[in-house]
Amino acid sequence: MKYLRAALARLVGFFTGDRADADLREELQAHLEMATAENIRRGMRPDEARRQAMLASGGLTGAAESVRDQRGLPWLEGIAADVRYALRTLRRSRVFTAVVVITLALGIGANTAMFTLLRGTLLRPLPNRDGQRLVYLRQSAPGAREQNVLFSVPELADYRAGSNTLSAIAEFSSSLPFTLVGSDGHPVRVKVGIVSGNYFDVMGLEPVVGRLTNAGDDGPAAAPVSVLSYEYWNERFGGDPHIVGHTVRLNDKVSTIVGVVQPAPHYPEPTDVFVNTVTSPHHLSATMVTGRTHRMSEVFARLAPNSTVDQARVELTRIATGMFHDHPESYEKAKQFGITVMPLRDALNERASFMFWLLMGAAAFVLLIACANVSNLTLMRGVGREREMHVRAALGAGTARLRRLLLVENLALALIGGAIGVLVAYAGLKLLVAFAAQLSPRAHEIRVDGVVLAVGLATSVLVAIVLSFVPRIGGERTLGTSLAPTGGGRRTTLGRGRQRVQQSLVVAQVAACVVLLSGAGLLVRTLTKLASVETGVRADHVLTLDMPLEGDLLREVMKQPQNFAKYEAVRERVATLPGVEIASLGAAAPLRASIMEMDVKAEGQALAPNQMMPHGAVRSVDPQYFNVSAIPLLKGRAFEATDRRGSPLVVILNRAFAKKLFGDVDPIGRRVAMTGDVLRFTPFTGDWRTVVGVVGDTRDHGLDNDPTPTMYEPFAQELIFGATLIVRTTSDPAVVQPMIVKAIHDLYPRQLIEHIATVEQIRDETVAPRRLNAMFIASFGALAFVIAMVGIAGVLAFSVSSRTAEIGIRMSLGADTGRVRRMILSEGGVLLAAGLVVGLTGALFATRLLSGLLFGITAHDPVTLGAVALILTAVGIGACWLPAARAARVDPAVALRAE
Amino acid sequence: MAEKLDVQQGTLALMILKTLDVLGPLHGYGVARRIEETSKNRLTLNYGTLYPALLKLEQEGSIKAEWRQSENNRRAKFYSLTAAGRKQLARETREWNQTADLIAAFLAPRRETS
Repeated sequence: MKYLRAALARLVGFFTGDRADADLREELQAHLEMATAENIRRGMRPDEARRQAMLASGGLTGAAESVRDQRGLPWLEGIAADVRYALRTLRRSRVFTAVVVITLALGIGANTAMFTLLRGTLLRPLPNRDGQRLVYLRQSAPGAREQNVLFSVPELADYRAGSNTLSAIAEFSSSLPFTLVGSDGHPVRVKVGIVSGNYFDVMGLEPVVGRLTNAGDDGPAAAPVSVLSYEYWNERFGGDPHIVGHTVRLNDKVSTIVGVVQPAPHYPEPTDVFVNTVTSPHHLSATMVTGRTHRMSEVFARLAPNSTVDQARVELTRIATGMFHDHPESYEKAKQFGITVMPLRDALNERASFMFWLLMGAAAFVLLIACANVSNLTLMRGVGREREMHVRAALGAGTARLRRLLLVENLALALIGGAIGVLVAYAGLKLLVAFAAQLSPRAHEIRVDGVVLAVGLATSVLVAIVLSFVPRIGGERTLGTSLAPTGGGRRTTLGRGRQRVQQSLVVAQVAACVVLLSGAGLLVRTLTKLASVETGVRADHVLTLDMPLEGDLLREVMKQPQNFAKYEAVRERVATLPGVEIASLGAAAPLRASIMEMDVKAEGQALAPNQMMPHGAVRSVDPQYFNVSAIPLLKGRAFEATDRRGSPLVVILNRAFAKKLFGDVDPIGRRVAMTGDVLRFTPFTGDWRTVVGVVGDTRDHGLDNDPTPTMYEPFAQELIFGATLIVRTTSDPAVVQPMIVKAIHDLYPRQLIEHIATVEQIRDETVAPRRLNAMFIASFGALAFVIAMVGIAGVLAFSVSSRTAEIGIRMSLGADTGRVRRMILSEGGVLLAAGLVVGLTGALFATRLLSGLLFGITAHDPVTLGAVALILTAVGIGACWLPAARAARVDPAVALRAE
Repeated sequence: MAEKLDVQQGTLALMILKTLDVLGPLHGYGVARRIEETSKNRLTLNYGTLYPALLKLEQEGSIKAEWRQSENNRRAKFYSLTAAGRKQLARETREWNQTADLIAAFLAPRRETS
């Protein structure tokens, strides 16, 4: 109580100091006069009486100061003064301040940005209720290079029946294309997720409007219902709160919108509309419900109370093993079926986690370099200020007080830098989200919030504290001992210990810079390697447009003659347009992976035991396809107009598939057929087809993948799932494109047209994520590079200015300018060389982390490391040259007189 | 001349409180004079010691201050004990006596008897 009262009184005193000061002066004056009067009474002369009274009482000013300290909050008043002082000093040394602030802004900005990314995607808990209890199940067949084969209805029934560690299992599937027709009557493609009734309950999501699905929505008797995703609700329906009860047409079903679900990460696919199974007739068909190999569903589950992910993993693996044993026909040994169980949060960030932590590491590195640089600058400045410190110490400032002054200065620098850094990070948020969206479905959760700002602030404060204590690391001359007067002269060089610290900081900067630049260099080299990969198709002046079928795909497919007639009409019309050289039809654009992949057997070719059935993509294309995309015909003939429905079935193989199916045997004239269990669930037949040609390979699964084994079928002969129009233009595709779109709509006003892209763009899409990775790492590398070069130049410049006298003496003793320049250059050269050696050694280890992201080069690619070393050496010498040239210009007469 | 002593930490507050208790409201000079006299001039108080101590007691609520006319018609700041100050004086006197007894007993020359 007593202390509280005293503290309160002090706080009041802090603000009412002026009035109290006058009071105090009067009180002390009264005291003095009374003492003087007393002395006079004792018989002293008045002036002597006053002097004695003064002596006895110990001086008015000191007393007033002591009372003031007791009255207010002296440390706070001191800090206010320190802040004013710090800002004044910083304003005076503008260049120093600017360099430090910019360096820190870059360092802190990079870290804030990366932390924002990390927090939004990896660190924050899921918005789902009890999100940490959610798991994602994945069935894979690594033997067949299938990372995710999904689950079939009978498989899920087995897991549901056998599992005690999971309290509920929900299904989600998204494979079929849907068109949605709203009240405006225009069809649009939507991304539909077909979910089991318990999906939202299991996922722990709440409705924003209306209701979500429940068990009553399962089964064939339920009415078709739709739940909108939060994003689609806003984007398409403008967040209309009265949306519930409206109907939309999804393919052929009229579906009622029952609600909108809260925002949540979309996994595994972005989804616009969630529907119950009755909306997709296919999901209730007999083949789907009873076919063990008809795998369509992604599976999410909630852990039972008291169960852990590990327990679930053990249990589900046991169930799976039993299943593989009971149904050997559905689980070929060679395909190595298996089940993975992982927390949903890990599944969401499967691809992002590594890259984001890597970038966070890079950002931390940049901050480290920035700190090293700033402490170097501070050290140099500290030397120049040593005399100031002596004066302050002589005037009675304690070591703690001086330390505080430095801390306040550094805090001011770091906070200004931090504030600019956070602003930079904030400005870059859009780019950041775009980058993150490629890797994580949680990217839209990224935002700068209080926690992020707090971390930015904490980083700044931490940086300031580190900087304030760096002068201490130097060893023999701590701030305290350096206050002992060392003669009045201006000390201009660092003690040996501190010099060594400063030099190691420069070496560390250069080394860190080498590591970052090597990483960036490897990624850039990967890009150039990829750019030179032969795709197997012609990319320039080829425009592609998807024209999907509308409605229930499985029913539409059966109308082959009408569909073919329609697409044929479009092709003929477009072919006559000016600027169009060739128009062609195919099931998919060149370089886009075909949605259809099948097991294919070759007549008369026996499979070796344990050899898997050859598997490849199936594409239907028209006779012009190989022309338009410039895929070379290696053997036999291309398709002709006579290869149509009713004529003998023919196919063309690409070289990779021909080799896989027939080895070295000439495939022309031989027969192949689609096969496998999956065929039952498709409208295709396993009839024998004759191979009439062999064409060149194409890389449809990305430039970094092997050519895809492909079987081409005549477009006119097969069922049509929709078509892509492929057009080679004589002029700029962008100019021709609107004419093509108009021509199509003239013929079929309601025809959907999607994914308009040139083959160049398609090719680019496969490289884009790598380019972003490379860009991010490279920008960190560039940042580090700039900072390190400023650092080395700064250290040398300081060295030169502090050695002006020495240089003057050397020159007056006969050293010529070349010699002086060499001296300074070699001083920098040693630092540079040491940094390069340390950095290259570090890079050999660090770049191994990147090996998964590389293509066509090893993590130790000598060209990259060599180039980095070369560039750093060249620019480093350039950075040393400026101060060296300045040293060479020293006029001995002037230099010596200056001392 | 008698040996000069520094005011021991913590004892000054007690001396001030006792002085005010004995003499009633008094200005800073009076307090200083009284303490010096009582100590037979072995203690001298300068402003830098006395006034911060007075202020601290005032902040803690043990004494209060008001401006009044002094005996020789000069305006001076008079300090007087508050109720809390009286309680503090009683408590600190008791504590001090106990401590003093303890130290005295401890320092008394005494042979250990077996």
